Amino acid sequence: MIKRYFTLLIIVLISMRLSAQVWVAPAENETKKSPFAFDDASRKAGAEIYMTNCKSCHGEPGKNNAVLLVPPPPDMSSVKVQANSDGAIQYKIAVGRGLMPSFKNTIPSTDVWKVISFLRSFNDKYVQEVSKNDGGGASVPNVKIKLNWLKESGQIQISLTAPSKEKGIQPVSAAEVKIFAKRYFGNLPVDEPRNTDALGKAVFNFPKDLPGDSIGSVQLLAVLSNDAFGDVKVDTTMSIGVPTYRAPLNEQRAMWNVVSKTPIWLLLAYTIAVLGAWGFIIYVFLQIRAISKEGSGKDTESAA
Amino acid sequence: MASEVNTDFLHNKKLDSIAADILRPVGITQGFIVWMGFLGISLMACIYAYYIQWDKGLIVTGLRDYISWGMYIANFVFFVATSLVGMLISSVLGLIGFKWVKPIARIAEIIAVAFAAIAGLVIVSDMGRPERLPYVFMYGRIQSPIIWDVTVVTTYLVISTLLYFLPMIPDLAISKGRIGHTPKWLQKTYQILSVNWNHTPKQYKILLKAVRIMLILIIPTAFAIHTVTSWLFAVTLRPGWDSSIFGPYFLTGAFVAGSAAVVIMMYFVRTNYKLDKYLTEHHFDMMGKLLVLVSIVYLYFNINEYLVPGYKMKTAEAIHLNDLFVGEWAFMFWSVQLLGLVIPILLLLFKFFRKPFPMFVISIVVLIAAWFKRLIIVVPTQDHPFLPIQHVPKAWMVYQPTVVESAITIGTLLLVVIIITVLVKFFPVIPIWEMAEEQNEIDSKSKE
Repeated sequence: MIKRYFTLLIIVLISMRLSAQVWVAPAENETKKSPFAFDDASRKAGAEIYMTNCKSCHGEPGKNNAVLLVPPPPDMSSVKVQANSDGAIQYKIAVGRGLMPSFKNTIPSTDVWKVISFLRSFNDKYVQEVSKNDGGGASVPNVKIKLNWLKESGQIQISLTAPSKEKGIQPVSAAEVKIFAKRYFGNLPVDEPRNTDALGKAVFNFPKDLPGDSIGSVQLLAVLSNDAFGDVKVDTTMSIGVPTYRAPLNEQRAMWNVVSKTPIWLLLAYTIAVLGAWGFIIYVFLQIRAISKEGSGKDTESAA
Repeated sequence: MASEVNTDFLHNKKLDSIAADILRPVGITQGFIVWMGFLGISLMACIYAYYIQWDKGLIVTGLRDYISWGMYIANFVFFVATSLVGMLISSVLGLIGFKWVKPIARIAEIIAVAFAAIAGLVIVSDMGRPERLPYVFMYGRIQSPIIWDVTVVTTYLVISTLLYFLPMIPDLAISKGRIGHTPKWLQKTYQILSVNWNHTPKQYKILLKAVRIMLILIIPTAFAIHTVTSWLFAVTLRPGWDSSIFGPYFLTGAFVAGSAAVVIMMYFVRTNYKLDKYLTEHHFDMMGKLLVLVSIVYLYFNINEYLVPGYKMKTAEAIHLNDLFVGEWAFMFWSVQLLGLVIPILLLLFKFFRKPFPMFVISIVVLIAAWFKRLIIVVPTQDHPFLPIQHVPKAWMVYQPTVVESAITIGTLLLVVIIITVLVKFFPVIPIWEMAEEQNEIDSKSKE
């Protein structure tokens, strides 16, 4: 009993601490800026993403209809929220805290910026500062991601390349890459995020027991998140999972299935009952015929 | 029915008088024409009502999304229920060896045939797209209780018809020379239907065997027909229907309705055709006792059906029971339980109320109550679905039967009465040969 009260006390204290504590983004995130200018298209796309992922707790901005949780999810149009820099909001969405989940694996960073674009539309005083992507030597468009299956070691090797004006196709080094296996309801991270080496390569360990489809195919998603390049994604299918056959739910005989999938016991019971009853009925009809035959040619009134 | 027939009764003089008594009402009389004319014109009005429904769809009824089973389905359950009495009287009581059921057996079978034949039509009346009826057979699933229901209703109708027809074959043979006062086509029909019957011992042997097979087969079929009808409700999770005793509850209720219907028809036949020599006070007395017995059994199931959920009062059940006991349905519920069950049981315990006329009146009340009882089983459950009814017009929340719907329902009842009338007027309503055989036995005993 005392233990339970103690646990409760700790929970209360933690939540109080959390709500009391000011949430500050790290300095390098604080100054981060969107790689693109916010416009009507980005606001519209952001609104859609917000309504599917954020509204369930935060409610609609400006309507004060957030869910009653402790600590309360703030209204996104509030002064407190709008006081954050773009980079800080981006960080908080990506990392999360307490009841606020981390969205870094669910919503790609470009989409997070679109959400921020939508949220800023509730702030009249907001003036956007776009990330100054002067490029220098590092910023190269058209990054190519290639995935290789290293059969011996059971690993996935990734190589990043990008064309450069001076030197032709060059490896992209020191870029953070993540790999996910696609599944229903979100993506499953494969191994930890890795940075590419000087040759633009990184190696990911692939789990030996990951189920694939009937021939072991797994859909992989490699994502390079870098403000210099924007989001680069590649979608490939590789036969590297464990071949798994899952019978569809409607394959077996069941009460709720189609008539050709009637349970055997029911089919037998029904057929035997119907044939049994109608067998006797037909037999009785034959008996009526027998009665008629028996009496044919005789004077029917004679007996009476 | 005895396993052997002593054909001596054919030479007993009393056969003539028995046949004369029973065949006197057979044929087309003025009363028959007037009565059929009345039924026919009334039926025309009901057919017109059905034409409106055919043309406009079920929107002309009180049925809507939430309460989609109303008067029609209640009427269907009532029809199936009433028809079960054929099994109870000819089969159960007949096979046990009760002699008093002999003159009543054919009346019970007429009721069985008439109600079972129209029950199928009643289901069609509940269909918004009746032209899709063949789909039931083309795409039906054996897993569905609807298919079981269609199967057993058909089987029951055929067996009941055979049980009406088979024991009548000797009567048709006896009658064919004695119905000179009837139209030629009827005499011809008797000739064909009597299938060359000339009372040979072999024919009796075959007939008794065939009848016995059908008498036994109709017992499981009748149990199946009404149990399956109850399963149409009981296989759902809804309060009021979600019950494990629904099968026997329906079955015992059916015997109450059927027995009442038999008494009503007995009374009509006895008074209109002056057959009180054959349908005596003793028969009414016995039917009264039977009605008390089946009513007590049904009351027992009623107590189970309402007391057990009433003790637990699960949320959804509680809403339903409150509605029945003290809510909107209370007046109908208590009227049905008291007038249709409790009071008849108490009255029929006294010999006076088991006399023909009091029995007749009580049976009419019981039969009407039985119809409303089905309505109480079918409709109130749908008033409260598990997900609350919201944002719909008021008319969707309350079931209010329309004139069209009522006319169609009355039409199906008229059809039953027409079938009964035709069978009663064109064929002997009391088994002549069985009466004569019984008389012969009495005579030969008194000679000894």
